[in-house]
Amino acid sequence: MRALLLWVIPALALALVPLWIQSPYALHIFILLFIAVALGESWNVIGGFAGQYSVGHAAWYGLGAYGAFILLLRKGIPPWFGVWAAVALAVIIALAVGWITFRLRGPYFVLASIAVAEIIRLAALNWKIVTNGAEGILGSDLPPLQIGGTVITDWNSKIPYYYLGLLMAVFCVAVNFVVKRSKLGYYLQAIREDQDAAHSLGIPLTFYKNTALGISAACTALTGSFAAFYVGFIEPQGVFGIDVSIQMVLTCIIGGIGTVTGPLLGAVVLVLLSEWLRASLAQAHLLVYGVLVIAVILLMPDGFVGFIAHRLRKKAAGR
Amino acid sequence: MAVFLQSLLSGVLIGGVYALIGIGLTLIFGVMRVINFAQGELVMIGMYCTFFLFKLAGIDPFLSVVLTMPALFVVGAVLQRSLINRVLDALPQNQILLTIGLGLVLSNTAMLVFTSDYRILSTTYSSSSVGLGSIRLSTPLLYSFLITGAITAALYWFLARTDTGHAIRATAQDRDAAQLMGVNVRHMGVLAFGLGSALAGAAGALIAPIYYIYPQVGGAFTLKAFVVVVLGGMGSIVGATLGGVLIGMIESLSALYIASGMKELCVYVIFLLVLLLKPSGLLGKSRT
Amino acid sequence: MILALLLAASVRIGIINSVTGPEAPIGETLSNGYKLALEDLKKAGIEVEVVSEDDTGKPQIALSALEKLVTRDNVTGIVGPYSSSSANPTVKAAEKNKVPILIPTAAKEELTRMNYKYVFRIASPANGLAAAGLDATLGLGPAKKLAVVYENTDFGTSTAKTAKEYAATHGLQLVADEAYSKGSPDYRSTLTQVKSADPDVVFMVSYVADAILLMRQARELALSPRAFIGGGAGFSQPQFVAERDISEGILASTHWTKDSGWPGAKEFAERYQKRFNVDPPYHSACAYESLRIMAECAAKSNNDRDKTRACLHEGKWDGIMGPVKFVDYDGFQNQNKHPVLVTQVQQGKVVTVYPKENAVAKPIYPFKWK
Repeated sequence: MRALLLWVIPALALALVPLWIQSPYALHIFILLFIAVALGESWNVIGGFAGQYSVGHAAWYGLGAYGAFILLLRKGIPPWFGVWAAVALAVIIALAVGWITFRLRGPYFVLASIAVAEIIRLAALNWKIVTNGAEGILGSDLPPLQIGGTVITDWNSKIPYYYLGLLMAVFCVAVNFVVKRSKLGYYLQAIREDQDAAHSLGIPLTFYKNTALGISAACTALTGSFAAFYVGFIEPQGVFGIDVSIQMVLTCIIGGIGTVTGPLLGAVVLVLLSEWLRASLAQAHLLVYGVLVIAVILLMPDGFVGFIAHRLRKKAAGR
Repeated sequence: MAVFLQSLLSGVLIGGVYALIGIGLTLIFGVMRVINFAQGELVMIGMYCTFFLFKLAGIDPFLSVVLTMPALFVVGAVLQRSLINRVLDALPQNQILLTIGLGLVLSNTAMLVFTSDYRILSTTYSSSSVGLGSIRLSTPLLYSFLITGAITAALYWFLARTDTGHAIRATAQDRDAAQLMGVNVRHMGVLAFGLGSALAGAAGALIAPIYYIYPQVGGAFTLKAFVVVVLGGMGSIVGATLGGVLIGMIESLSALYIASGMKELCVYVIFLLVLLLKPSGLLGKSRT
Repeated sequence: MILALLLAASVRIGIINSVTGPEAPIGETLSNGYKLALEDLKKAGIEVEVVSEDDTGKPQIALSALEKLVTRDNVTGIVGPYSSSSANPTVKAAEKNKVPILIPTAAKEELTRMNYKYVFRIASPANGLAAAGLDATLGLGPAKKLAVVYENTDFGTSTAKTAKEYAATHGLQLVADEAYSKGSPDYRSTLTQVKSADPDVVFMVSYVADAILLMRQARELALSPRAFIGGGAGFSQPQFVAERDISEGILASTHWTKDSGWPGAKEFAERYQKRFNVDPPYHSACAYESLRIMAECAAKSNNDRDKTRACLHEGKWDGIMGPVKFVDYDGFQNQNKHPVLVTQVQQGKVVTVYPKENAVAKPIYPFKWK
């Protein structure tokens, strides 16, 4: 119960932020943060809990983005319905991919996940009739959100995106929370720790890995749709590129893989760092990511969260 | 028919370069079981070295291989001692992440130092070709293919005929047994990574005259190297050689018969199929 | 001009450019153009406060850059971005935010085809590049078979499309339509296909690095049509021209040359050469003139966005880019009807060979490898 409060209070605080902070740029940074948190938490389900390091999650992100966009632009389906269809598409493909690739272990699985994401990216690049290829798709104006006859928002400021983003980030964190404490989480941990032992105990590996992947892909696709509508423009390299996948992984590793707070911390560090460095290092903020990852792997493999937890434990033990 | 042969032969020649990158990767994997995601960045460093040797000292890129290889060997050895060595017992996933991070550091440092401008290396024979009937073979590609062949042969001889080579192979086969037999496996690790880097450097020197040079060029090469190595079999040098040539041919022919934009797609689909159906590759030793 | 002198005005203009990233070298030529424009504006009494944003070659970043310029930096108008793919989302956001934007070089037709009021472009859209290049070539000798080779990006695809449309309306047979994924070291399969179709004219759309690789491999494979035409971008860059083995005799459509005869063009080129040690490509001229025009309008309108837009819409200029007026025609809005020139590399120098009124040399035809 207390753990829940520790989450609810900051969430409420964040919900009140737009009352004080009006600057579109500041709200923009928050929205980037929410997206990064959501992505990190999504990846955590399959990478952190199940121990299957997919470096191809951009596939689900992009499918969410393209799915929702195409439905809006070609069929006029408003995003609040289209998104779910896109998510469903991503999940179906993810489950198919999982079914064929989960037999691979460790590094081979990593390579397969990269291959899948690249295949989807190249397909999007070449299937011009559907995706417009390299030219990308420019989002059109979103229809105003109405309930009954009242217009809630016409999407002309950052505030509706802020709240949606916050909701999405909270949702993904909540999913992590629930999975970790559930029986699924328990089985995933067993699979992560020792796959063969879990198998010999009768745990159906592919079923649970796929469940984790399905949840992870759904959250990732949801975030992808949101990000696409927020930015207003998508093209294959931007949503399916390997950089997107790597960023998701880095968020979790640096923050602390397998924990609920880890990806959140990782997201905050990475987003703030890259915005701050954009002025001085321009594109090379990735340099700092690289250094951080190396430092984390060598010095604190449990990420910042693990490091802090370790320190706190030491203090509690009275050293 | 001429079109087919032209495409096929071009593919074989460029496949030689892919093979060289793959051999470095497979050597490192064979000895240390580490999948080096920064292999492409090592090629990139080799390319920049070649470019500057050419621009500043006028050394022909194909000749500068003899300088680039030892330089990259040293780089590789240093990286091994300082970073890779520390994660030899870590989870394979963490090893991969470490090398991914290393790749990011290398490519972005290059970007800061050299800027992201594309550099082009032009020699007098950059666009020359040799005629073979109605088929034309690129002169620089021919040179690089021949040099790749020579390096591969030399490597093979080293591994098959020298004591150190035997020690490396022993470490690759069974680390503990090798250690029990008196092989200094730590040195072997340094040697393998150094050699793998030297091979990447050589590949860089050979690619520099036929492509263009920029900091992020490594990523695509790393991915291609993986395909080559998985196709040929992780740990097998002959496999990587075959795999490289095969991938070169597949790319070339699919660009011809399907569409230029699809050639990468074909390569990745084949990659996935191999991973799923025969993960040990054409010549690899099966190991779980 | 006199009006400008009367106002010792201070204006705030945003510039979006590819300062880093793969197109950085071309971005640099635009930056240089902007620099020269700032100096001249200062001399004319217009103080320009420039807020520069780097889109690193990525469309999403260009979009964020525009949002920042418009909301945080409160610029009166925007010049840029450089590439078609960055301009794509950016112009839409500019229109939404009611900020006038002047595109210096991006060729994608749709940019000024969306019935927008705030989006202006000084360079000709893609169809102009194809039409000029092909017109020039058809004027040199009979040609029946056209091959089109292009990168499968925004810029490449749109420009190639216009070339294909031209072929259809001018009785040319399209014998090869090859879109390539840029960044490959090997285009030989593509070029072998083209060679086997035996084209009379090969129309190519590429940025510099690929242009060099393509021409090297074309030479190697002995692909020898009667003419090679480059559709702007890479083929007009000094880096390409410097590759003497492969650039000699190549025709290229361009928006500007130093010997075009437009007022001040030659002087601009000389000044640029002295300052930056290299010949200016058309990008620099387009950038220069775009910033000059935008700043003048912003000064006249006292930094009011709508008044600046009106000034752009109604104004007329005659500078190094020749006569400039933003009009609506053929489905384009606020598009300058810019005459596209065609150049040829002769003895390592770029000379204007078309149209007749701007030509300074006779084109060498048909094409032969050195």
